[in-house]
Formats: sequence, structure tokens, C-alpha cells
Amino acid sequence: MDQDLAKKTVEQLRRAGINFVTYLPETRLSSILPFLEAERFFQLVPVASEAEAITIASGASLVGKQSACYMEGTGLFVCSYNLLTVSVRLGVPLLLLISYVGSFADQRNSFRFAPTGIRTEAQLEALNIEYQLIANCHDLETKTNDAVRMMNALKQPVALLFTGDFTA
Amino acid sequence: MNRHDCLQALVPHISDQLVVPSVSGQWIWGELSKHDGNLLLGSMGNAIGVGLGMALALPHRKVIVLESDGSVLLSLFNLPTLGSLNPDNLVVFVFDNEAYSGSRISRPTATAGKTNLAAMAKDAGVSYAVTVRDIEAFNREMSLAVKEKGLRFIVAKIEETFEHRKVQRSDVDLLENKYRFVRYIERTEGIPVFRGRG
Repeated sequence: MDQDLAKKTVEQLRRAGINFVTYLPETRLSSILPFLEAERFFQLVPVASEAEAITIASGASLVGKQSACYMEGTGLFVCSYNLLTVSVRLGVPLLLLISYVGSFADQRNSFRFAPTGIRTEAQLEALNIEYQLIANCHDLETKTNDAVRMMNALKQPVALLFTGDFTA
Repeated sequence: MNRHDCLQALVPHISDQLVVPSVSGQWIWGELSKHDGNLLLGSMGNAIGVGLGMALALPHRKVIVLESDGSVLLSLFNLPTLGSLNPDNLVVFVFDNEAYSGSRISRPTATAGKTNLAAMAKDAGVSYAVTVRDIEAFNREMSLAVKEKGLRFIVAKIEETFEHRKVQRSDVDLLENKYRFVRYIERTEGIPVFRGRG
């Protein structure tokens, strides 16, 4: 992922009000991590499983943080139980920042990722989680702002699936 | 020592702490404590994570998690994260009856055999992790944990009782409890939790 795009992504998260981010490092969007670390606005929480990325961020949201969880697309399947039993059931605003591995526009797609990728949107739909795809920087500002507004309006998790230029 | 005795001993120590019970303790805790700072989850494997998120987000506020052996075993990845992040305002009580003790079942968990949750927490980096086996030891650890700073992971070995089967379940559903909890946070912290107005 291009450094400039990574920087813009992090700037946009800050402008949208996200101030608490749980994460499990992955490959596609990893360039955003140094920018997140450099920006003191964000409280960053490294985790050992996407499952606790969800529960920790949910706890933070319930006491006033605007929380996001950054994970690889495969992590969505790991944390589906926690999304369903905590965030969706209780109604907790969360922004899921998902690198959409195995999607059509994943520029590093392979037999390792495609079988997961083709099930990602169906999984979000099964969980009743609203989502948007972002493939380039033109959509970044609008879709990030829209997603944060939606998560707060719905009081539910909302997902941004990063593909295209974000997966280069 | 049983769960009811431990929770009853804890009740008078609760003032402005935030309390997150896992599913197995929430029926008894919900009956004993009407504290607005109780967040009932109604599920297993989530309480440590949710409590940890609260503790990190509100570092000046004590957070108490009421867990069980089966629930901790479901989310063991929490232990290294607790050890790494080491929030000094979080206390985790694990009520370990060595059984999956539901409304109709009683089957042994791994802690009925060789598994030692306090030792696992310690090796995962939680420096204060102990096991207590009687109510006197529980009371001693509990009153220190509630009062003093520092991450504590306290495993209370309890008898398996079936009291939870007799407790009348609350008619406050999880959503209603969440709103009550959130309004309590807004009131006591003076911050908005949910953004936006209708």
C-alpha cells in the first residue's frame, strides 16, 4: 500500500473522530500502523485475536470512545461470535477496518485468499452488519465519514472493506 | 466456598466501580447488586475483553470482571493481552467450579484436571495471579484488589452448586441494561457515550 494513501487513511480516521483502535497486524494495510502509532490522538491496542479486538473495542465504546478494529478479512470469521454476542446483540457502535483479502480487486489475490474473500460480504450480511467497499483514495473521505455517522446512528458495528489500491 | 458467598462478600465493596459479569455469574450478581455500573453481557468468553476495553479507555476508574473457568477457557488469548497491556485499574475474578454448570448440565472443565488458570495467567505476564480456596482468603484478596492499584487475576476455587438454577431471572433485558450502564457513565464521567441526536 502506497505510503501517501496510508497517511491519508489515518488522517481521515482522525478527522472522522475515531480515537481508539484495536488491531491484529496483517499485510495489505500494514502501512497504516506507523501513522497510527505516530498520531497521539489514537489510543492503540494490539491484540492476540480478532475476537478480543471486538470485545476490547466494544468495552471502550461503551464508556465513550469512538472505536475501530483493524483486521484482515479472515479475522472477520474469527470474531463473528464476539461481534454477534456483544456488539450486534447489545448495539455497540464500532468501525471495522477490514483488509478485503481475496476480493475481486485484491491486487495480491491468490488461491490462499480467494476462498475466504468470496464469503466475506455474505458473512457481513449474515451478521446484519452494514458495509462499504473502498478501492481508492477518491472515496476515502466520504465513505469513512459516512461509516462513522452510520455506526453512531445505528449503534451497531459498520464495516469498511479496503480493496483495490489499498491492497497493492 | 461457593459463588454466592463470594459475590455477597463483594457487594458492600462496590461504589463507583464498573462491573462486568460473565454469563455464569450474572444471574446471582444481578440479584445481589442493582448497581447502575453493572454491564450484563449474557454470553461466555467476552467479559475479560469488554472489561479490559473499559479499563484502558477510563484509566482512572476501577473495573471488575466476574468470570468463570469455562468462559476463560473459551478465550485464552485474553491472558497474554492482559499480561502485555497490564492495566492497573482492572481486577479479574474467576469463579472456578471446575465444571460446565448450566441449567441442565454438569460436565468437568479442564481445570478439574491439570489446568491451572492462575499459573497460565502468570506465565502470560500477569504478575499478580493467585488461587484462593476458602472464603477468608477470598475476602482478603478481594478487599485488597478493590482498594489498591494493580492488575489482579484472582481464581476462586468454588463448589459447584445449583443455586443459579433457582435464581429468578431478571426481566431487565440486555439492551435495557446497556442503556442504564451508558447513562451511568455519561452521568458520572460527564462525557457523551452515544453520539448524535434524533
